[in-house]
Amino acid sequence: MPPKFDPHDSSVVVIVGSGAGGGTLANELAKKGVSVVVLEAGRRMEMTEFQNDEIGMFGAFTWLDPRTSSGSWYVAKSSADLPAWTCKLVGGTTVHWGACALRFQEHEFKTRTRYGAIAGASLLDWPIDLNELAPYYDRAEMRMGVTGTHGIPRLPASAHGKVLFAGAKKLGYTKYWTTNMAINPVPRDGRAGCQQTGFCVQGCTFGAKWSTLYVDIPQAEATGKAEIRPESQVLRIEHDASGKVTGVVYADRTGALQRQNARIVAVAGNSIESPRLLLNSSSSLFPQGLANSSGQVGRNYMRHVTSTVFAAFDKPVHMYRGTAQSGIVMDEARLDTSRGFVGGYNLELLPQGLPSFATNLLPGEWGRDRASWIDNYVNLAGVWIIGEDLAREDNRVTLHPDRKDKYGMPIPNVHVDDHPNDFAMQHHGFQQADALYQSIGAKRTVHHQPFPSTHNMGTNRMSENPRDGVVNKYGQSHDVKNLFVSDGSQFTSSGGENPTLTIVALALRQSEYIADQMRKGAL
Amino acid sequence: MRHMLLRELVGKFTRRGFLRAGAATVAAAAVGGAPLLTKATESGLSAEQSRTLVKFTRDLFPHDRLDDSFYAKAVAPLGDEAAKDAATRQLLAEGVAQLDSASIGLARKPYTEVTDETIRIAAIKKIEGGAFFSKVYNGTMTPLYNQPELWAKFGYEGPSSAQGGYRDRGFSDIPWLPQ
Repeated sequence: MPPKFDPHDSSVVVIVGSGAGGGTLANELAKKGVSVVVLEAGRRMEMTEFQNDEIGMFGAFTWLDPRTSSGSWYVAKSSADLPAWTCKLVGGTTVHWGACALRFQEHEFKTRTRYGAIAGASLLDWPIDLNELAPYYDRAEMRMGVTGTHGIPRLPASAHGKVLFAGAKKLGYTKYWTTNMAINPVPRDGRAGCQQTGFCVQGCTFGAKWSTLYVDIPQAEATGKAEIRPESQVLRIEHDASGKVTGVVYADRTGALQRQNARIVAVAGNSIESPRLLLNSSSSLFPQGLANSSGQVGRNYMRHVTSTVFAAFDKPVHMYRGTAQSGIVMDEARLDTSRGFVGGYNLELLPQGLPSFATNLLPGEWGRDRASWIDNYVNLAGVWIIGEDLAREDNRVTLHPDRKDKYGMPIPNVHVDDHPNDFAMQHHGFQQADALYQSIGAKRTVHHQPFPSTHNMGTNRMSENPRDGVVNKYGQSHDVKNLFVSDGSQFTSSGGENPTLTIVALALRQSEYIADQMRKGAL
Repeated sequence: MRHMLLRELVGKFTRRGFLRAGAATVAAAAVGGAPLLTKATESGLSAEQSRTLVKFTRDLFPHDRLDDSFYAKAVAPLGDEAAKDAATRQLLAEGVAQLDSASIGLARKPYTEVTDETIRIAAIKKIEGGAFFSKVYNGTMTPLYNQPELWAKFGYEGPSSAQGGYRDRGFSDIPWLPQ
């Protein structure tokens, strides 16, 4: 039975959020014997509630609380009220993630050194490098069951993947295969093997895909050391006169305010909610927001540079069949400034079911030409360009000056201005994806501008020097020793890879540090 | 689900019960022409207004393989909303009048009586970007394309988990692709 901790119990570690960072940290700390209370804003869904229903599941678990956006980026025009597509439930965004589990590359930890001083960007090297993180990547891959690593076989290629690979081969690419996925190809670790349903993003009905919802959270509870409180939205982190955090105030499922004392607080609410919470926890001691003496909280918000290309063939592809994102071309992920941009990008399969495809196609357009794409739905193939987004100080999450949510907490605004590097990379990606599909007979292609961001990084970045960022190499606040950040908001750069594996690796490393510091009495 | 329609979707999911009400209307209208018109009249739109909206929606999202019942279902949630909300009722009524007026200007006939699609398109272009256009564009797109009966007509197979996914049902089959 999971324990029930007393609100006055100040020996517990409070973790805000239960996704890739929070869920992993909770499991690891609980297994080390540390008492943990996880406060999750969303409700707890059962796997049996997942439906193969794109529209319905979007409504069931998307974070739909009010947000605003500003800046020159496309998303601020196309979906101003929904700048990011994140989830609000136990398990967080690990419920809908595509399960691409990629490591960052060596140079992506050293962007300032390797890319130089880029005008209009605020690049910074991470205080850790690939070597230091490699053992944690190994452990993350083992526990999540990542295909293509540690002897776990790769998933078989779908028809949709075979189209991508045939084009890649024709184009002279060499680094293409079914992606390293946190999806069991065969039963493993108490979870089923992939049944190729094509509905990864709506919640895996077979549990073949790793998610903290049904992996880490139940494991943490089984230790008897972790309590999960769903529908508990943290509004403020409190501190004592010395500046140490002492607990959190949260709204429970009835809307009533509760307080939970804490020895340590770890924030893992995704790169929009985490800085929002710190900024909303300002006090006379921390007038700019908690952990924000640097003024860096909320800054350097990064999504990825993304775009989508769909290609029409004259024969069936059935892109909706099979593991959604299980195909990748990695040849463009390298650092090669002769292409006219720094950083690199991957080409990842991006299928859409008919409802998603038809409603996302060519926004604002209508008539026969648009409809002809849908008429040809079964013959389409799709690929996602996902590349490195540069840190920019003024791309940031701030508290809205006027608007508040139902608990009176200021809503977040997400501001992004595109950098010229983004457009150069996007243009290159469009050209390459077009050429790839045309090389094997595509009749035409259509380009999509970015969707709301599913990858959200930065905003509480790691730095060697406390002046340059919010947390140190362990995700520990430079200002407040018993306050940690445990999600993708720690990222100093975005890399050109999906962020989840790195979030999990950092959480594993952080759990060791926290347990060690607690043992030593330093926390 | 993403892009500008998201705004519409967010609105729907946060206006409690809206989708459920829409779905009920969809079901009621599912049987085709006459029941649809009855339902639409009940919703506060005249039969002629409903016919115009169905035609307009078809012109926005034209698929010759679909009969009018699919477009009627796409329009049904708007009628449902109009029944409850006077501002929506007015917006739709005025929009239909504008569309008719544009058609009469171009072809001396109301919109539904114009058989030449290029003229109807010219009429739509005169109102494109306005509040009525956006309301119908955003309000009918998801209800149109989220009909399971429609998916099969485009070769989309819909939910697969109950059949055990595609693992043994051809997920990797693509015989035409050169090896």
